[in-house]
Amino acid sequence: MSEYTLSSQAYAKAILHSAKYPWATVHGLFLGEKNGSKFRLTDAVPLAHSWTQLTPMFDVALQQVQQYAGSKNLVIAGYYVAYENPDTIQLSASGALFAKSILAINPEAAAFVVDAKRFKAREDGRPALVPFVYAGEQWKEQPKAFGDAKGQFVLENNQALTTARILVEERAEIGIFDFDDHLDDVSLDWLQNNLLNERIRTA
Amino acid sequence: MSSLALLAEIRQSSERLPYEVLKLAEPLLNNNQLTSSTEDAWLVYEQVFLAALDEGQIDLAKSLLHILRTRFPASQRVKRLYGLVNEAAGHPDESQNLYAEITSADPTNVLALKRVIALLKAQGKLALAANELVAYLDTHGNDFEAWLELSHLYLAHHMYRQAAFCLEEVILQQPANHYFHLCYAEINYSMGQWDIALKEYLRVVELSTDNVRGFYGIKVTADRIIEMLASGARAGKSRREPQALSGLENVPQVPVLEKLSLLATERLVAAYSANNAAAAPAKALEDWLKQ
Repeated sequence: MSEYTLSSQAYAKAILHSAKYPWATVHGLFLGEKNGSKFRLTDAVPLAHSWTQLTPMFDVALQQVQQYAGSKNLVIAGYYVAYENPDTIQLSASGALFAKSILAINPEAAAFVVDAKRFKAREDGRPALVPFVYAGEQWKEQPKAFGDAKGQFVLENNQALTTARILVEERAEIGIFDFDDHLDDVSLDWLQNNLLNERIRTA
Repeated sequence: MSSLALLAEIRQSSERLPYEVLKLAEPLLNNNQLTSSTEDAWLVYEQVFLAALDEGQIDLAKSLLHILRTRFPASQRVKRLYGLVNEAAGHPDESQNLYAEITSADPTNVLALKRVIALLKAQGKLALAANELVAYLDTHGNDFEAWLELSHLYLAHHMYRQAAFCLEEVILQQPANHYFHLCYAEINYSMGQWDIALKEYLRVVELSTDNVRGFYGIKVTADRIIEMLASGARAGKSRREPQALSGLENVPQVPVLEKLSLLATERLVAAYSANNAAAAPAKALEDWLKQ
Protein backbone atom coordinates (compact mmCIF):
# COMPACT_ATOMS: atom_id res chain seq x y z
CA MET A 1 0.00 0.00 0.00
CA SER A 2 1.39 3.38 -1.01
CA GLU A 3 1.82 6.08 1.62
CA TYR A 4 1.47 9.80 1.12
CA THR A 5 2.82 12.63 3.26
CA LEU A 6 1.46 16.10 2.54
CA SER A 7 3.70 19.13 3.04
CA SER A 8 2.67 22.68 3.93
CA GLN A 9 3.60 24.01 0.52
CA ALA A 10 1.63 21.42 -1.40
CA TYR A 11 -1.44 21.80 0.77
CA ALA A 12 -1.33 25.59 0.90
CA LYS A 13 -1.01 25.98 -2.85
CA ALA A 14 -3.92 23.67 -3.59
CA ILE A 15 -6.09 25.56 -1.10
CA LEU A 16 -4.98 28.96 -2.41
CA HIS A 17 -5.70 27.92 -5.99
CA SER A 18 -9.26 27.07 -5.05
CA ALA A 19 -9.55 30.23 -2.93
CA LYS A 20 -8.56 32.41 -5.87
CA TYR A 21 -11.49 31.17 -7.97
CA PRO A 22 -14.32 30.40 -5.56
CA TRP A 23 -16.91 30.52 -8.36
CA ALA A 24 -15.07 28.01 -10.54
CA THR A 25 -13.83 24.45 -10.61
CA VAL A 26 -10.03 24.42 -10.41
CA HIS A 27 -7.59 21.57 -10.75
CA GLY A 28 -3.89 20.87 -10.62
CA LEU A 29 -1.19 18.37 -9.85
CA PHE A 30 0.83 17.39 -6.80
CA LEU A 31 4.54 16.77 -7.20
CA GLY A 32 6.49 14.70 -4.75
CA GLU A 33 9.56 12.76 -3.81
CA LYS A 34 9.30 9.02 -4.26
CA ASN A 35 10.93 6.58 -1.90
CA GLY A 36 9.79 3.09 -2.80
CA SER A 37 6.05 3.24 -2.21
CA LYS A 38 6.25 6.32 -0.02
CA PHE A 39 5.49 9.69 -1.54
CA ARG A 40 6.24 13.03 0.06
CA LEU A 41 4.02 15.59 -1.69
CA THR A 42 6.22 18.66 -1.67
CA ASP A 43 4.59 20.95 -4.18
CA ALA A 44 1.44 21.71 -6.14
CA VAL A 45 1.30 22.91 -9.74
CA PRO A 46 -2.01 24.64 -10.49
CA LEU A 47 -3.34 23.99 -13.96
CA ALA A 48 -6.69 25.55 -14.75
CA HIS A 49 -9.73 27.46 -13.50
CA SER A 50 -11.81 27.53 -16.68
CA TRP A 51 -13.10 24.85 -19.07
CA THR A 52 -11.78 22.28 -16.65
CA GLN A 53 -13.67 19.48 -18.42
CA LEU A 54 -11.77 20.12 -21.65
CA THR A 55 -8.64 18.24 -22.56
CA PRO A 56 -6.21 19.94 -24.96
CA MET A 57 -4.41 22.30 -22.58
CA PHE A 58 -4.48 19.69 -19.83
CA ASP A 59 -2.59 17.38 -22.17
CA VAL A 60 0.03 20.06 -22.90
CA ALA A 61 0.41 20.98 -19.24
CA LEU A 62 0.68 17.37 -18.12
CA GLN A 63 3.51 16.74 -20.58
CA GLN A 64 5.35 19.86 -19.45
CA VAL A 65 4.88 19.08 -15.75
CA GLN A 66 6.17 15.57 -16.34
CA GLN A 67 9.38 16.92 -17.82
CA TYR A 68 9.69 19.61 -15.16
CA ALA A 69 9.21 17.08 -12.38
CA GLY A 70 11.82 14.80 -13.88
CA SER A 71 14.30 17.64 -14.00
CA LYS A 72 13.81 18.18 -10.24
CA ASN A 73 13.93 14.48 -9.35
CA LEU A 74 10.25 14.58 -8.49
CA VAL A 75 7.29 12.59 -9.72
CA ILE A 76 3.67 13.51 -10.32
CA ALA A 77 2.19 12.07 -7.16
CA GLY A 78 -1.39 13.27 -7.38
CA TYR A 79 -4.23 15.18 -8.99
CA TYR A 80 -6.31 17.70 -7.05
CA VAL A 81 -9.59 19.34 -7.93
CA ALA A 82 -11.89 21.81 -6.17
CA TYR A 83 -15.42 21.91 -7.59
CA GLU A 84 -17.41 25.09 -8.03
CA ASN A 85 -20.18 23.56 -5.96
CA PRO A 86 -18.74 23.16 -2.44
CA ASP A 87 -21.13 20.26 -1.82
CA THR A 88 -19.38 18.18 -4.47
CA ILE A 89 -16.67 16.13 -2.82
CA GLN A 90 -16.70 13.23 -5.25
CA LEU A 91 -14.61 13.01 -8.40
CA SER A 92 -16.61 13.99 -11.47
CA ALA A 93 -16.45 11.96 -14.67
CA SER A 94 -13.85 14.24 -16.22
CA GLY A 95 -11.96 14.46 -12.92
CA ALA A 96 -11.79 10.70 -12.76
CA LEU A 97 -10.50 10.58 -16.34
CA PHE A 98 -7.85 13.23 -15.75
CA ALA A 99 -6.73 11.47 -12.60
CA LYS A 100 -6.62 8.21 -14.54
CA SER A 101 -4.39 9.76 -17.20
CA ILE A 102 -1.87 10.41 -14.44
CA LEU A 103 -1.91 6.74 -13.49
CA ALA A 104 -0.36 6.06 -16.87
CA ILE A 105 2.63 8.09 -15.69
CA ASN A 106 2.59 7.02 -12.05
CA PRO A 107 0.41 4.00 -11.26
CA GLU A 108 0.47 4.94 -7.56
CA ALA A 109 -0.81 8.49 -8.03
CA ALA A 110 -3.72 9.49 -5.82
CA ALA A 111 -6.56 11.93 -6.47
CA PHE A 112 -7.73 14.59 -4.02
CA VAL A 113 -10.92 16.62 -3.87
CA VAL A 114 -10.83 19.87 -1.92
CA ASP A 115 -13.56 20.04 0.70
CA ALA A 116 -14.23 23.77 1.01
CA LYS A 117 -16.84 23.28 3.69
CA ARG A 118 -14.37 21.42 5.88
CA PHE A 119 -11.90 24.28 5.44
CA LYS A 120 -14.55 26.78 6.43
CA ALA A 121 -15.69 24.69 9.39
CA ARG A 122 -12.12 24.62 10.66
CA GLU A 123 -12.31 20.91 11.41
CA ASP A 124 -9.37 20.44 13.69
CA GLY A 125 -6.40 18.37 12.77
CA ARG A 126 -7.51 17.40 9.29
CA PRO A 127 -6.76 19.09 5.97
CA ALA A 128 -9.62 20.00 3.66
CA LEU A 129 -8.70 17.29 1.17
CA VAL A 130 -10.49 14.01 0.50
CA PRO A 131 -8.12 11.45 -1.03
CA PHE A 132 -9.11 8.82 -3.59
CA VAL A 133 -7.12 5.73 -4.44
CA TYR A 134 -7.56 3.78 -7.68
CA ALA A 135 -8.52 0.19 -7.03
CA GLY A 136 -10.74 -2.26 -8.86
CA GLU A 137 -11.23 -0.03 -11.90
CA GLN A 138 -12.47 2.93 -9.91
CA TRP A 139 -11.44 5.73 -7.60
CA LYS A 140 -12.26 4.86 -4.01
CA GLU A 141 -12.68 7.52 -1.38
CA GLN A 142 -10.50 7.24 1.73
CA PRO A 143 -12.70 9.01 4.26
CA LYS A 144 -10.62 8.22 7.33
CA ALA A 145 -7.50 9.73 5.78
CA PHE A 146 -5.34 12.17 7.70
CA GLY A 147 -6.94 11.08 10.95
CA ASP A 148 -4.23 8.73 12.06
CA ALA A 149 -0.56 9.63 12.52
CA LYS A 150 0.44 6.29 11.04
CA GLY A 151 -2.17 6.11 8.29
CA GLN A 152 -1.83 5.97 4.52
CA PHE A 153 -2.31 9.73 4.23
CA VAL A 154 -0.63 11.99 6.76
CA LEU A 155 0.23 15.63 7.11
CA GLU A 156 3.91 16.36 7.35
CA ASN A 157 3.14 18.49 10.36
CA ASN A 158 0.14 20.29 11.82
CA GLN A 159 1.72 23.60 10.90
CA ALA A 160 0.43 22.95 7.40
CA LEU A 161 -3.14 23.66 8.49
CA THR A 162 -2.29 26.89 10.31
CA THR A 163 -0.14 28.08 7.43
CA ALA A 164 -2.93 27.56 4.93
CA ARG A 165 -5.37 29.39 7.16
CA ILE A 166 -3.06 32.38 7.68
CA LEU A 167 -2.46 32.64 3.95
CA VAL A 168 -6.15 32.54 3.07
CA GLU A 169 -6.89 35.21 5.70
CA GLU A 170 -4.32 37.51 4.14
CA ARG A 171 -5.64 36.76 0.61
CA ALA A 172 -2.30 35.32 -0.51
CA GLU A 173 -4.18 33.61 -3.35
CA ILE A 174 -3.74 36.70 -5.51
CA GLY A 175 -0.15 35.51 -5.86
CA ILE A 176 -0.81 32.05 -7.31
CA PHE A 177 -0.77 31.60 -11.09
CA ASP A 178 -1.90 28.54 -13.01
CA PHE A 179 -1.30 27.32 -16.57
CA ASP A 180 -4.44 29.16 -17.75
CA ASP A 181 -2.91 32.40 -16.44
CA HIS A 182 0.41 31.58 -18.05
CA LEU A 183 -1.25 31.08 -21.43
CA ASP A 184 -2.55 34.65 -21.18
CA ASP A 185 0.77 36.01 -19.91
CA VAL A 186 3.88 33.90 -20.38
CA SER A 187 5.84 35.92 -17.84
CA LEU A 188 3.88 34.12 -15.09
CA ASP A 189 5.69 31.09 -13.67
CA TRP A 190 2.91 28.53 -13.19
CA LEU A 191 5.38 25.71 -12.60
CA GLN A 192 7.06 27.20 -9.56
CA ASN A 193 5.17 30.24 -8.18
CA ASN A 194 8.42 31.11 -6.35
CA LEU A 195 7.26 34.30 -4.69
CA LEU A 196 4.35 32.46 -3.16
CA ASN A 197 6.63 29.64 -2.03
CA GLU A 198 8.70 32.23 -0.15
CA ARG A 199 5.58 33.55 1.53
CA ILE A 200 4.52 30.05 2.50
CA ARG A 201 7.96 29.37 4.01
CA THR A 202 7.82 32.48 6.15
CA ALA A 203 4.17 32.24 7.20
CA MET B 1 -9.36 59.65 -8.55
CA SER B 2 -12.08 59.80 -5.97
CA SER B 3 -13.60 56.68 -4.49
CA LEU B 4 -16.90 57.44 -6.16
CA ALA B 5 -15.24 57.74 -9.54
CA LEU B 6 -13.38 54.48 -9.05
CA LEU B 7 -16.56 52.72 -7.99
CA ALA B 8 -18.26 54.07 -11.12
CA GLU B 9 -15.43 52.70 -13.25
CA ILE B 10 -15.82 49.27 -11.70
CA ARG B 11 -19.56 49.36 -12.40
CA GLN B 12 -18.80 50.28 -16.00
CA SER B 13 -16.34 47.47 -16.54
CA SER B 14 -18.72 45.02 -14.80
CA GLU B 15 -15.72 43.29 -13.28
CA ARG B 16 -16.42 41.42 -10.10
CA LEU B 17 -14.08 42.99 -7.53
CA PRO B 18 -15.90 42.65 -4.21
CA TYR B 19 -12.88 43.20 -1.98
CA GLU B 20 -11.87 46.40 -3.77
CA VAL B 21 -15.43 47.72 -3.80
CA LEU B 22 -15.77 47.22 -0.05
CA LYS B 23 -12.42 48.87 0.61
CA LEU B 24 -13.43 51.88 -1.48
CA ALA B 25 -16.89 52.15 0.04
CA GLU B 26 -15.85 51.71 3.67
CA PRO B 27 -14.85 55.35 4.31
CA LEU B 28 -17.85 56.63 2.37
CA LEU B 29 -20.23 54.61 4.50
CA ASN B 30 -18.47 55.30 7.79
CA ASN B 31 -18.42 59.04 7.23
CA ASN B 32 -21.99 59.18 5.99
CA GLN B 33 -20.80 60.64 2.73
CA LEU B 34 -23.45 58.90 0.67
CA THR B 35 -26.45 61.14 1.06
CA SER B 36 -29.53 61.32 -1.10
CA SER B 37 -27.94 64.31 -2.80
CA THR B 38 -24.95 62.29 -4.00
CA GLU B 39 -25.46 61.62 -7.68
CA ASP B 40 -24.84 57.89 -7.76
CA ALA B 41 -25.74 57.12 -4.17
CA TRP B 42 -28.32 54.41 -4.94
CA LEU B 43 -26.14 52.75 -7.59
CA VAL B 44 -23.30 52.68 -5.10
CA TYR B 45 -25.50 51.18 -2.39
CA GLU B 46 -26.55 48.44 -4.80
CA GLN B 47 -22.94 47.87 -5.87
CA VAL B 48 -21.68 47.65 -2.31
CA PHE B 49 -24.60 45.38 -1.42
CA LEU B 50 -23.53 42.91 -4.13
CA ALA B 51 -19.89 43.15 -3.02
CA ALA B 52 -20.90 42.50 0.58
CA LEU B 53 -22.73 39.34 -0.50
CA ASP B 54 -19.66 38.16 -2.42
CA GLU B 55 -17.49 38.71 0.63
CA GLY B 56 -19.92 36.96 2.95
CA GLN B 57 -20.78 40.10 4.89
CA ILE B 58 -24.48 39.39 5.14
CA ASP B 59 -25.21 41.87 7.92
CA LEU B 60 -23.67 44.72 5.98
CA ALA B 61 -25.67 43.64 2.94
CA LYS B 62 -28.89 43.63 4.94
CA SER B 63 -28.31 47.12 6.31
CA LEU B 64 -27.65 48.46 2.81
CA LEU B 65 -30.77 46.75 1.53
CA HIS B 66 -32.78 48.41 4.27
CA ILE B 67 -31.57 51.80 3.05
CA LEU B 68 -32.55 50.94 -0.52
CA ARG B 69 -35.97 49.63 0.50
CA THR B 70 -36.69 52.79 2.49
CA ARG B 71 -35.97 54.89 -0.57
CA PHE B 72 -37.67 52.57 -3.10
CA PRO B 73 -40.43 50.76 -1.20
CA ALA B 74 -42.26 49.28 -4.19
CA SER B 75 -39.26 48.47 -6.36
CA GLN B 76 -38.99 45.12 -8.15
CA ARG B 77 -35.29 45.78 -8.51
CA VAL B 78 -34.93 45.95 -4.72
CA LYS B 79 -37.13 42.87 -4.37
CA ARG B 80 -34.66 40.90 -6.48
CA LEU B 81 -31.90 42.03 -4.13
CA TYR B 82 -33.93 40.57 -1.26
CA GLY B 83 -33.93 37.34 -3.23
CA LEU B 84 -30.16 37.55 -3.45
CA VAL B 85 -29.60 38.15 0.23
CA ASN B 86 -31.86 35.22 1.05
CA GLU B 87 -29.83 33.03 -1.27
CA ALA B 88 -26.64 34.13 0.43
CA ALA B 89 -28.09 33.58 3.88
CA GLY B 90 -29.13 30.05 2.92
CA HIS B 91 -32.89 30.52 2.53
CA PRO B 92 -33.43 29.38 -1.07
CA ASP B 93 -37.17 28.85 -0.68
CA GLU B 94 -37.65 32.47 0.34
CA SER B 95 -35.69 33.53 -2.72
CA GLN B 96 -37.66 31.25 -4.95
CA ASN B 97 -40.92 32.83 -3.76
CA LEU B 98 -39.64 36.34 -4.26
CA TYR B 99 -38.45 35.61 -7.79
CA ALA B 100 -41.74 33.87 -8.59
CA GLU B 101 -43.59 36.99 -7.42
CA ILE B 102 -41.47 39.19 -9.64
CA THR B 103 -41.83 37.01 -12.74
CA SER B 104 -45.55 36.53 -12.35
CA ALA B 105 -46.01 40.29 -12.06
CA ASP B 106 -43.71 40.77 -15.03
CA PRO B 107 -42.82 37.70 -17.13
CA THR B 108 -40.31 39.73 -19.13
CA ASN B 109 -38.12 40.56 -16.14
CA VAL B 110 -34.94 39.03 -17.51
CA LEU B 111 -32.84 39.53 -14.39
CA ALA B 112 -35.36 37.71 -12.24
CA LEU B 113 -35.68 34.90 -14.80
CA LYS B 114 -31.94 34.48 -14.72
CA ARG B 115 -31.94 34.50 -10.94
CA VAL B 116 -34.34 31.55 -10.96
CA ILE B 117 -31.86 29.64 -13.11
CA ALA B 118 -28.90 30.69 -10.98
CA LEU B 119 -30.72 29.55 -7.85
CA LEU B 120 -31.31 26.09 -9.35
CA LYS B 121 -27.67 25.92 -10.31
CA ALA B 122 -26.53 26.92 -6.83
CA GLN B 123 -28.71 24.17 -5.38
CA GLY B 124 -26.99 21.65 -7.64
CA LYS B 125 -30.12 21.09 -9.73
CA LEU B 126 -28.20 21.43 -12.96
CA ALA B 127 -30.61 19.53 -15.17
CA LEU B 128 -33.53 21.71 -14.04
CA ALA B 129 -31.39 24.81 -14.50
CA ALA B 130 -30.59 23.72 -18.04
CA ASN B 131 -34.27 23.17 -18.80
CA GLU B 132 -35.18 26.63 -17.58
CA LEU B 133 -32.32 28.13 -19.52
CA VAL B 134 -33.41 26.38 -22.71
CA ALA B 135 -36.92 27.80 -22.21
CA TYR B 136 -35.44 31.25 -21.65
CA LEU B 137 -33.36 30.97 -24.81
CA ASP B 138 -36.47 30.10 -26.83
CA THR B 139 -37.58 33.67 -26.31
CA HIS B 140 -34.21 35.35 -25.90
CA GLY B 141 -32.10 33.59 -28.52
CA ASN B 142 -29.92 36.62 -29.01
CA ASP B 143 -28.63 36.55 -25.46
CA PHE B 144 -25.24 35.06 -26.21
CA GLU B 145 -24.18 35.13 -22.58
CA ALA B 146 -27.10 32.85 -21.82
CA TRP B 147 -25.91 30.45 -24.52
CA LEU B 148 -22.49 30.48 -22.85
CA GLU B 149 -24.05 29.73 -19.49
CA LEU B 150 -25.96 26.83 -21.05
CA SER B 151 -22.76 25.46 -22.58
CA HIS B 152 -21.22 25.64 -19.12
CA LEU B 153 -24.09 23.58 -17.71
CA TYR B 154 -23.78 21.02 -20.50
CA LEU B 155 -20.04 20.72 -19.95
CA ALA B 156 -20.65 20.07 -16.26
CA HIS B 157 -22.58 17.02 -17.46
CA HIS B 158 -19.94 16.20 -20.06
CA MET B 159 -22.47 16.72 -22.86
CA TYR B 160 -19.88 17.96 -25.33
CA ARG B 161 -22.01 17.92 -28.45
CA GLN B 162 -24.70 20.03 -26.81
CA ALA B 163 -22.10 22.41 -25.41
CA ALA B 164 -20.60 22.74 -28.91
CA PHE B 165 -24.02 23.62 -30.28
CA CYS B 166 -24.32 26.44 -27.75
CA LEU B 167 -20.93 27.79 -28.77
CA GLU B 168 -22.05 27.73 -32.40
CA GLU B 169 -24.94 30.01 -31.45
CA VAL B 170 -22.55 32.32 -29.63
CA ILE B 171 -20.17 32.45 -32.59
CA LEU B 172 -23.04 33.24 -34.94
CA GLN B 173 -23.69 36.32 -32.83
CA GLN B 174 -20.08 37.19 -32.02
CA PRO B 175 -18.03 35.88 -34.95
CA ALA B 176 -15.03 38.15 -34.42
CA ASN B 177 -14.43 37.26 -30.80
CA HIS B 178 -11.49 34.85 -30.67
CA TYR B 179 -12.35 33.72 -27.14
CA PHE B 180 -15.47 31.92 -28.34
CA HIS B 181 -13.64 30.25 -31.22
CA LEU B 182 -11.10 29.10 -28.65
CA CYS B 183 -13.74 27.57 -26.44
CA TYR B 184 -15.37 25.93 -29.46
CA ALA B 185 -12.01 24.55 -30.58
CA GLU B 186 -11.33 23.03 -27.16
CA ILE B 187 -14.78 21.44 -26.92
CA ASN B 188 -14.29 19.89 -30.36
CA TYR B 189 -10.82 18.64 -29.45
CA SER B 190 -12.22 17.09 -26.29
CA MET B 191 -14.79 15.13 -28.26
CA GLY B 192 -12.36 14.01 -30.92
CA GLN B 193 -13.63 16.30 -33.65
CA TRP B 194 -10.09 17.06 -34.74
CA ASP B 195 -10.90 18.68 -38.09
CA ILE B 196 -13.14 21.36 -36.57
CA ALA B 197 -10.76 21.85 -33.65
CA LEU B 198 -7.88 22.60 -36.00
CA LYS B 199 -9.91 24.98 -38.11
CA GLU B 200 -11.13 26.84 -35.08
CA TYR B 201 -7.69 27.11 -33.47
CA LEU B 202 -6.46 28.59 -36.74
CA ARG B 203 -9.31 31.08 -36.62
CA VAL B 204 -8.29 32.02 -33.07
CA VAL B 205 -4.79 33.01 -34.08
CA GLU B 206 -6.17 34.79 -37.13
CA LEU B 207 -8.34 36.93 -34.88
CA SER B 208 -5.74 37.71 -32.24
CA THR B 209 -2.03 38.36 -31.80
CA ASP B 210 0.52 36.28 -29.92
CA ASN B 211 -2.22 33.93 -28.81
CA VAL B 212 -0.11 31.34 -27.05
CA ARG B 213 -3.08 29.12 -26.22
CA GLY B 214 -4.06 29.18 -29.88
CA PHE B 215 -0.59 28.17 -31.02
CA TYR B 216 -0.42 25.32 -28.51
CA GLY B 217 -3.82 24.22 -29.78
CA ILE B 218 -2.75 24.24 -33.42
CA LYS B 219 0.34 22.23 -32.61
CA VAL B 220 -1.31 19.53 -30.51
CA THR B 221 -4.22 19.20 -32.92
CA ALA B 222 -2.09 19.08 -36.07
CA ASP B 223 0.30 16.59 -34.46
CA ARG B 224 -2.61 14.48 -33.24
CA ILE B 225 -4.19 14.39 -36.71
CA ILE B 226 -0.88 13.40 -38.31
CA GLU B 227 -0.50 10.62 -35.76
CA MET B 228 -4.04 9.35 -36.28
CA LEU B 229 -3.77 9.40 -40.05
CA ALA B 230 -0.53 7.48 -39.81
CA SER B 231 -1.89 4.85 -37.46
CA GLY B 232 -5.10 4.65 -39.49
CA ALA B 233 -3.08 4.10 -42.65
CA ARG B 234 -0.97 1.49 -40.87
CA ALA B 235 -4.13 -0.34 -39.86
CA GLY B 236 -5.20 -0.31 -43.48
CA LYS B 237 -8.14 2.00 -42.91
CA SER B 238 -9.15 4.49 -45.56
CA ARG B 239 -11.30 7.53 -45.97
CA ARG B 240 -14.06 5.28 -47.21
CA GLU B 241 -14.56 4.05 -43.66
CA PRO B 242 -15.84 7.17 -41.89
CA GLN B 243 -16.10 5.71 -38.43
CA ALA B 244 -12.49 4.62 -38.51
CA LEU B 245 -11.38 8.16 -39.20
CA SER B 246 -14.13 10.02 -37.42
CA GLY B 247 -13.28 13.59 -36.71
CA LEU B 248 -10.84 13.57 -39.59
CA GLU B 249 -13.20 14.14 -42.48
CA ASN B 250 -12.01 17.56 -43.50
CA VAL B 251 -8.37 17.72 -42.60
CA PRO B 252 -5.60 19.13 -44.76
CA GLN B 253 -3.01 16.87 -46.36
CA VAL B 254 -0.15 15.66 -44.18
CA PRO B 255 2.47 18.04 -45.68
CA VAL B 256 0.21 20.97 -44.86
CA LEU B 257 -0.36 19.64 -41.34
CA GLU B 258 3.37 19.33 -40.83
CA LYS B 259 3.87 22.90 -41.99
CA LEU B 260 1.15 24.07 -39.59
CA SER B 261 2.80 22.26 -36.71
CA LEU B 262 6.14 23.81 -37.59
CA LEU B 263 4.59 27.25 -37.90
CA ALA B 264 2.93 26.85 -34.50
CA THR B 265 6.26 25.85 -33.00
CA GLU B 266 7.97 28.87 -34.46
CA ARG B 267 5.20 31.17 -33.29
CA LEU B 268 5.31 29.74 -29.78
CA VAL B 269 9.03 30.31 -29.51
CA ALA B 270 8.62 33.84 -30.87
CA ALA B 271 5.76 34.65 -28.51
CA TYR B 272 7.65 33.38 -25.47
CA SER B 273 10.75 35.39 -26.24
CA ALA B 274 8.87 38.54 -27.19
CA ASN B 275 6.81 38.53 -24.00
CA ASN B 276 9.36 38.03 -21.20
CA ALA B 277 8.57 34.41 -20.55
CA ALA B 278 9.52 33.18 -17.08
CA ALA B 279 12.55 30.89 -17.02
CA ALA B 280 11.05 27.61 -15.86
CA PRO B 281 8.09 27.71 -18.27
CA ALA B 282 10.38 28.76 -21.14
CA LYS B 283 12.60 25.76 -20.43
CA ALA B 284 9.49 23.60 -20.20
CA LEU B 285 8.41 24.78 -23.65
CA GLU B 286 11.85 24.04 -25.05
CA ASP B 287 11.81 20.51 -23.65
CA TRP B 288 8.23 19.97 -24.74
CA LEU B 289 9.00 20.99 -28.31
CA LYS B 290 11.89 18.54 -28.41
CA GLN B 291 9.87 15.50 -27.36
